[in-house]
Amino acid sequence: MNKVSVRQLYFFLACIAPVGKLVVMPVRLSAKAGNDLWIPTLLLYLLQAAAVFCVLLLGKRRKSLYELLCERIGSVCAKIVHLLIVCFLLFCALIPLLEQKLFVQAVFYDTLPSIVAFAPFFLFSAYLCSKPLGSEGRAFDLLAPISVVGLVGVLLLSVSNADYGAVLPLFASGAKGIFGAVAGACSWFFDPVLLLLFLGKFEYGKGTAYKGALFYLAGGAAVIFFLITFYGIFEGTAINQLFAFTKTSKYYSAITVLGRVDYLFIFALSLVMTFYTALPLHCAVESCLQAFGRKKYLPTILSVGFNLIFLIFDGLLDYHFGDVLGVVGKLFWIFPLFTLLLPPLLLPSRRSHEGA
Amino acid sequence: MKARKLLRTIPMKLYALLLIVVLFSFFSNDFGLVDIQKTAIILAAGIDKSEEGFMLTAQIAVPKGTDRSQGGTSSVDVTTTGVTVSDCVSSIFGETGWVPKLVFCDLIVLGEEAASEDVIGYLNYFLRSEYMNDSCKLAVCEGKAEALIASKSALADVSSIAILNLFSDAAAKSGKVLAKTLKDFAVDYYGVSKSSYLPYIRMMEQRGSSQTGNGGSGSSDAGGEEGEIRPEVVYSAETTALFADGKMAAVLPPDETFAYSLLKGNVESGIFTAQDGEKPVTLSVLSNSGSIALDMKGAPKVKLKIGVIARLCCRGTTAPMEDVSNDNVPEAVLENAEELLKENTRKLWQTAKESGCDLFELKKALYRSSPKKYDEWKEFLLDKAEPEIVTDVRSSK
Repeated sequence: MNKVSVRQLYFFLACIAPVGKLVVMPVRLSAKAGNDLWIPTLLLYLLQAAAVFCVLLLGKRRKSLYELLCERIGSVCAKIVHLLIVCFLLFCALIPLLEQKLFVQAVFYDTLPSIVAFAPFFLFSAYLCSKPLGSEGRAFDLLAPISVVGLVGVLLLSVSNADYGAVLPLFASGAKGIFGAVAGACSWFFDPVLLLLFLGKFEYGKGTAYKGALFYLAGGAAVIFFLITFYGIFEGTAINQLFAFTKTSKYYSAITVLGRVDYLFIFALSLVMTFYTALPLHCAVESCLQAFGRKKYLPTILSVGFNLIFLIFDGLLDYHFGDVLGVVGKLFWIFPLFTLLLPPLLLPSRRSHEGA
Repeated sequence: MKARKLLRTIPMKLYALLLIVVLFSFFSNDFGLVDIQKTAIILAAGIDKSEEGFMLTAQIAVPKGTDRSQGGTSSVDVTTTGVTVSDCVSSIFGETGWVPKLVFCDLIVLGEEAASEDVIGYLNYFLRSEYMNDSCKLAVCEGKAEALIASKSALADVSSIAILNLFSDAAAKSGKVLAKTLKDFAVDYYGVSKSSYLPYIRMMEQRGSSQTGNGGSGSSDAGGEEGEIRPEVVYSAETTALFADGKMAAVLPPDETFAYSLLKGNVESGIFTAQDGEKPVTLSVLSNSGSIALDMKGAPKVKLKIGVIARLCCRGTTAPMEDVSNDNVPEAVLENAEELLKENTRKLWQTAKESGCDLFELKKALYRSSPKKYDEWKEFLLDKAEPEIVTDVRSSK
């Protein structure tokens, strides 16, 4: 139950991780980089793919993250790093949670629903997080085809309305716009850290690391194609289109006759997103368990505790999503510290241990 | 043994149950329940300028009762004023007790006076609202939008349904109407060209017919008087309003509207009338290609190209059977058709140029190809560019 196969991780990297980047990130990118929104995304994906490569390469040693850290810095420091990772994962979870809540409220309801409408998510998340992290593997197997159907469906209905020339001229936003967008979008790129918690749970095979990076880039290509389509449809008004993936397909000519059939694909992506949103919390629980041992009721206590905290945040931050984005945006540098710096730092192995 | 097996399967069942609860909660959409006794389902909105600021006329669908013999759709028109459009929308609730719902609003009409100002101020509310369908059709009308929305259509129970028929895909393919959605207008306005167009609706009284306002099916004016006679009208949107910097700057007549449709390559089943000597001959467009190309080598030149494959549809005179059975268009008619389209395109160019509307999206094309040249030419491009019009009308064989 606590093992995942490499295939399941590939599914996560190619099909599930991209879904979290289709809600508010396109609007943030277009606000900073305008028609160049795909360039910062490409830069971020290339960097993150390198980090994914490093993480999967660590899988060769068949050790958990905690064991790897103990090997390098001792158990006390390893525990501290794990606690920092927990804090980071909880920080990461904030934006996906709030954006999904706002998305559900705005898109699936014709008028503003009660705050309780999103509360069952925490019930589901608390249960999911109390299970071993390996159980996500089965979910990845089931969610990958749903994600592909959802994304392909949305894109197919969107392409005919896009003016792809809108991405011209290239580099119109300049270096400031592009790097500003890179900083602004950092908060949606934390997948290598999620992957770190899967270390020791999969069997490294030949070429797993580079294949994983390629699968991640394939997911990135889908995101970039979506972003270009999104900008091609909305151009200068793109910055007003929150919940991007629910907006692009509604202009398809048949929809005026058939109604919002595109909601089938949007529902599919929303289902995948529900799992992706809970994943940082699940990884935070796993991180605690690796550092402090798998005591009988600890997973349940941690899971309920984390989800309770977020349920409270969810209520308190109901009308403060802009403020949250602002704060997270200012602290953008935290994301590369954990996603880009931590995996390569773990790579060099100690000869004495290798010899042993 | 059985109990242990049951216990083992409980987590999976709980997992599925929780997932169902979450999905139910997310996707229930309040079970799609709309209390129509308390909700104003707005089918169309007309916006005019008023002394206070804005005047909104909302066409609200109302339940029609259970008498099946009546059938159709029924509506009531409510007009409110306010300092913002949002103010007007909330006044609908204040005056009627109905909560306005814009999700089903498929048409926004701007009055002529409102269109003479920067119209984006009138559309601001609709662009901001997450609960508004921005693929709704947008149009401008002759006179007041209030009068258009409140008019009695000769063809449908509700005026907005009759007007929306003008913007169907079939109408667009005829080339006679240039429809635009709220989203597309906003994209044009906030784009480099800052120019756009909207269909310009006129209403004409249906000869020989009149009806009382509040009887039977159809729309009724909330403020109207009982027994007031309202003539039945029909609508036309064959003219097109051009917008520069958000203000209505000119109106294209039907010929120029058709020429622009041909330039965009949108026409698949439209007709137009050329001359065979002194006699009229109507041609049917079987296929159409059009292009607009900006050439910045030396002085700016714009190549406007229209390609049409047509068949002879109808003569305005008597003709022998051999001619009736022949769809081919005579060479002289083809030449005349080419001249006619060239002339209409020339007039279209002139109207757009004089109004300052970048209808041909030249600034956009230049910006995309060279931002540097765009900065250099953006103020003069429309004035300095010279058109080269090429028309090619061929007969179907």
